[in-house]
Amino acid sequence: MSIILETRDIRYRYPGGQEAIKGISFHMRRGEKIALVGPNGAGKSTLLQMFNGMIRPTSGTMLFDNEPIRYDTPSLRQLRKRVGYVLQNADRQIIAPTVYQDVAFGPANLRYDEQAIRQAVALALRQVGLEGFERRPPHHLSGGEKKRVAIAGVLAMDPDVLVFDEPTSGLDPSGSEDLMELLDELNHDGKTIVISTHDVELAYPWAERAILLTDGQIIREDVPDVAFGNTKYVRMAHLSVPTLLELSVELGKRGFAIPERKPRTVLDMVHIIENHLSKPYAHTAPGTITVCNVDEGETSSLPAWVKARPGIIVGAMGTRAKQCAVQEQIALEFTYGVIDKCILRVLRGQDSLILTTGSMVSRVAVRVEAYCKESGNTINVASLNTTNQPPVPGLTKEEVKKNDPSC
Amino acid sequence: MIETNLDSVAQQSAFRHIHPGTKLILALGSLIICLISPSPVVPLISGIVLSLVLIIPGRISPLLYGELLLGPAIFAIMSVVVLLFMLGGGDVIWRFNPVPWIDLSITTGSISRSTLVLCRVFGCSISLFFIALTTPMTDLFNGMKRIGIPIELIDLMMIIYRYIFIVYAQAVEIWQAQVMRLGYSRPREAIRSLSLLCGMLFISSWIAGEDLIHAMDCRCYDGIFPSLDSAEPVQIQSLIPVMLYLAALSGILLVITTRVVIFS
Repeated sequence: MSIILETRDIRYRYPGGQEAIKGISFHMRRGEKIALVGPNGAGKSTLLQMFNGMIRPTSGTMLFDNEPIRYDTPSLRQLRKRVGYVLQNADRQIIAPTVYQDVAFGPANLRYDEQAIRQAVALALRQVGLEGFERRPPHHLSGGEKKRVAIAGVLAMDPDVLVFDEPTSGLDPSGSEDLMELLDELNHDGKTIVISTHDVELAYPWAERAILLTDGQIIREDVPDVAFGNTKYVRMAHLSVPTLLELSVELGKRGFAIPERKPRTVLDMVHIIENHLSKPYAHTAPGTITVCNVDEGETSSLPAWVKARPGIIVGAMGTRAKQCAVQEQIALEFTYGVIDKCILRVLRGQDSLILTTGSMVSRVAVRVEAYCKESGNTINVASLNTTNQPPVPGLTKEEVKKNDPSC
Repeated sequence: MIETNLDSVAQQSAFRHIHPGTKLILALGSLIICLISPSPVVPLISGIVLSLVLIIPGRISPLLYGELLLGPAIFAIMSVVVLLFMLGGGDVIWRFNPVPWIDLSITTGSISRSTLVLCRVFGCSISLFFIALTTPMTDLFNGMKRIGIPIELIDLMMIIYRYIFIVYAQAVEIWQAQVMRLGYSRPREAIRSLSLLCGMLFISSWIAGEDLIHAMDCRCYDGIFPSLDSAEPVQIQSLIPVMLYLAALSGILLVITTRVVIFS
């Protein structure tokens, strides 16, 4: 993957004289999910604001797309179009008196024509699941909705990199999970995403790379289980070790076999424990995961399909899938962490249905395949075509066996 | 508290989706008719009809509507009581003469003119309430642009409109924090607390202003403040009843005026 943003020994000193960034060098590859983790006052926000040129480093070089960032107005406009920045406080980011006007703010200032603005706004609102909110004033929205408006405002400019300062601050736990899933969805659509947070539990399973920042310096930069696994660094950064990681370390000390790739989800953890107790998962035959792409064909037959299968667990992944479930009045068991939660249920012999959209369909098969390979279990993934054709098996037992020599 | 302001009521009104022009024609039309009517009957009819329209198809809570009307009603009644004694003409109906140099009297002339004023106030305020309760500010910005108000002024109005709610919410928060710590228990403290509140609001507004520029810069601000996607087109099915109603009201006005002229 090519490098999209790079910093080379950048430093920043506040006008007051205090040095906030003390020589940071790192790079970001296209399509990566990076969490910048550190305590309050570590310089996270300052660093993030350098990414779109809001703050100019006192010394050092910033490169975007392998070109040094220039700080003249036209270059900055170009940079800010490509690096979208979502502020921590959505109220401070939403400028206009209605949702439509706010989301249209970026495209209008980029001199799109009327038609293009309308299209950009419609697409951005669709991506964050706020269709029909166009004429609403921001003070009538909930915290989570405001956050989504702020994100839509940035998405409307179609940036390559999305920078989020504390994306989940002020949201309730389920709102946070929803938001992290939205970030995943955006990442899946090809956006590079950087978040700053001090919530290690949130960053640990989400990020591909974690950067521990404290006192204006990077103290550790690695995959999350390594970065958060080192208690010395974690303590230096005034953070805590994620519960799952701590648990796996403790279990490891007690003779449990911990795989090289540390557990990042409850599913991974269950797998370790069950393995140790040497009880295979499938006391009963595992159920089937059925994947339904709500973008394709008619969804009106779905409620009947679900009704015909009592006891089926339904989860929705992605904004449009969730909207579809609401529209068709299908009760959702899971709205985040869907694939893993469905696998957990399927292992107990229940069938499950995952509603999702275009680009995310393949993710289910990939995740299930990876899990099967690791655990030696066999799970069937079927795809449900909403035009009511017989389900086509996605990943059969034979295929899994073929992929997994241990089976 | 933000939930019960006029703008929020307008946002939830059943007439929200009718073109603002249609609503303005109805409100301004009846306002003018109420003002020029020489008889109290026309404003009275207009006020009652518009109130019924607001409450029944408009689904505005009658309780809230009553509360809203209470303000202007108290003001109007107080003024009319004064007018009753100030105006003259016609036969004296009641006279109050406590001391030789104070002579208060109510005459037939003062009664009829005060009634007219009262009814006009009633009719006119309800016309204005009709606009306030059915058309949110955000819908009016587009119209303002169309009638040629300078764009800079409208942009400013939009930003101010957006920030009224933020600053207001902040003021409520600070005020609550002060009340919780007994900031308003004695007059001296109340003055001190209020001054602190104003100071805090000033500082936070200043910071909000800086953040606003920051947020605008982040999104490539280049002097353009987009306007709301054009509203629903003028619908004939809503425009026709409005026109018919105004015509009927003018008809009544005409009949009454000619009768007044004939009888006098």
